[in-house]
Amino acid sequence: MKKKILSIALCLTMTAGILAGCGAKKDSDSGDKKTLTMWSIATEADNMHSSYLKAIEEYEKAHPDYKIKFETFENQAYKTKIKSAVAANELPDIFFTFGGGFSEPFAKSGKVVELDKYYEKYKDLLPEAALKNQTYDGKLYGSTFTTPVSMMFYNKAIFKKNNIEVPKTYDELLNAVKVLKKAGITPISTSVKDTWVLGMLHDGLTLKSAGPTKLQNALLKKDGQSYNDPDMLQSAKDVVELKKAGAFEDGATGLSNDEAVQPFLDGKAAMFFTGSWLGGDVNNKSYNKDDFGVAPIPVVNDKNATLGDFMGGASDTLMVAKSSKNKEVACEAAFEIAKNISKNAYLEGVAIPAWKIDYDDSKVAGMTKEIAGYTTKAHSFTLWFDTLLQAEDANKYLELLEQLYTGGITPEQYVKAMADQLDSTK
Amino acid sequence: MGSVRNNKKAIAVFILPAAILFIVIIIVPIFMSAYYSLLNWDGMTTGKFIGFQNYVNLFTDPSVNFMKTLWDAIILAVFSVFIQLPISLGLALVLAKGIKGERFFLSVFFIPVLISSVVIGQLWLKIYNPNYGLLNAFLKAVGLSKWVHTWLGDEKTALMAVIVPILWQFIGYHMLLLYAGVKSVPKELTEAAKIDGATSWQISWNVIIPQIKPVIRMCIIFAVVGSFKTFDMIYVLTNGGPAHASEVPSTLMISLIFGRNQYGFGSAVAIIIIALCFIFAIGIRRVFKVEED
Repeated sequence: MKKKILSIALCLTMTAGILAGCGAKKDSDSGDKKTLTMWSIATEADNMHSSYLKAIEEYEKAHPDYKIKFETFENQAYKTKIKSAVAANELPDIFFTFGGGFSEPFAKSGKVVELDKYYEKYKDLLPEAALKNQTYDGKLYGSTFTTPVSMMFYNKAIFKKNNIEVPKTYDELLNAVKVLKKAGITPISTSVKDTWVLGMLHDGLTLKSAGPTKLQNALLKKDGQSYNDPDMLQSAKDVVELKKAGAFEDGATGLSNDEAVQPFLDGKAAMFFTGSWLGGDVNNKSYNKDDFGVAPIPVVNDKNATLGDFMGGASDTLMVAKSSKNKEVACEAAFEIAKNISKNAYLEGVAIPAWKIDYDDSKVAGMTKEIAGYTTKAHSFTLWFDTLLQAEDANKYLELLEQLYTGGITPEQYVKAMADQLDSTK
Repeated sequence: MGSVRNNKKAIAVFILPAAILFIVIIIVPIFMSAYYSLLNWDGMTTGKFIGFQNYVNLFTDPSVNFMKTLWDAIILAVFSVFIQLPISLGLALVLAKGIKGERFFLSVFFIPVLISSVVIGQLWLKIYNPNYGLLNAFLKAVGLSKWVHTWLGDEKTALMAVIVPILWQFIGYHMLLLYAGVKSVPKELTEAAKIDGATSWQISWNVIIPQIKPVIRMCIIFAVVGSFKTFDMIYVLTNGGPAHASEVPSTLMISLIFGRNQYGFGSAVAIIIIALCFIFAIGIRRVFKVEED
């Protein structure tokens, strides 16, 4: 008898499932509205989620004939998904991607639309300089909305208690680390398991040691600039020196980004080097947001770099698939929605806008406005290594950085291996 | 009924759906991968035919270090066969003897097999966490602070740290197979042995184990093949890191295809995994056959 009831119950759920499936399909077909599908990584857990939703809502209001079907995926899985989608030619109308080396094969594959002629209309609002990372072979392939940069986040309360000034040079940073270590506080929280987090510090120090021109030439393999250079070596040595001074917590190799951020937000670690997006998390997720401060990454060599040189730049990109049935509309939407996201994300205090601010921003949360203040006065932007480099180089770079941290290779071996890798894919 | 079974056309009609699915989902992709493995292809633009160069690179390119991943898989296979299976066999023999709460223990040991690997991975991530993990907390509590480690973040311990949950996860699976085998051994044999004065150890060793050899053979094949294609748990726990310390062929394949955009190269790894699984499955069968003769 029990079995019978169970099988009936199972039958019912299955039928219900099938019926529910049919029902949903009917719904989306109804009405004369045309649908544009859009993919992004702004899942509900992402602090950009509501900015996207608002941006889409605003777009739909302004364009009543079109409906945006918004689908989100987890960051790491999305990188895999989007590559497969390009390979299989199954792209949605509009999709999120990363600028720089990551999307270069997409542009080359001829499956995404060139946007130059659509961009004309928005030239005054979106500076051309912001679109450097979406331009391949002189042609524009994507729109962008935010300008994330690497920053040094620190705990004001801890700094004050230990009489530490905000470090402006590497030597001051090293000094601060030593003082904090003595006081029994983790100086810098970071994740080496998610190696890009350590990369935020390493890339920043490299930029502040070599300067933007030299670094970009080395990474983009221009002007015969090799990565095997005393300035690059310096930053690699600095990372090792910081580690030896006890700057990082012992288990950093086993912690993910989330696990590393939490102690900082809880006030147990003094510093965290990461992208400006942490400003949004500090505003929303920490117990006492007044305890936190933000500053540019300290300068290693003041002959080559200043506090105004930043690692980062507009990398978040919206592209349009050539296979889209409503290509014209989708191209325009890629800019309209990007503009809306830029505005909403800034107003919510979760990101730094790439578009000109032509609205009232007096209510923007402190930390985000502070970062925006830094970026508007920036001298230069250099995209992060793992975004700027093409996939193979980027992968190798993260691997080498991890080995540098664990002591598997010396700083000298590190810069040599980086130079060899960059040469091998020239 | 009998007439349907003798009707070749009817047989064909009934087999066809499964056969089509099998061919489309398994056989065709294998041949496609074999073709891709001969290309220098990033997965998006058009590939270039380069013959067997990918396979040559696989064994010569130090940045890939494929031999290391194979070695890791072999270590896992050895642990599976010589540690996991004996534990499973022991549990199966004890449970099949009809101890109290037989069904209860059977279910308990089988639970890890039912839970998704990702969930188990998350569980073990928490156990291994260097700051608040169960393992380090336990070591500290019993005064072994010296042994406290970043288990998954240390190159020396990462591989062992991922092998333990993998072994633990599938003990129940092999136990169930062996348990079913032990249960199907005819009662007359064990009873006859008992009358002849054999101890329960002797019964297990001389009567039951020889009887369930086919099941053991199957378990060994599953354990070895499973070791060569293991992926999910390692992907969740370390993703092959740190610095390739826990890399196995399948995680290498994923990082080649989706991390480095080398679709052709990654396909070559896939083909080698398939080939190795076939070779080991057939090889193990042979070894057991020789023993039987």
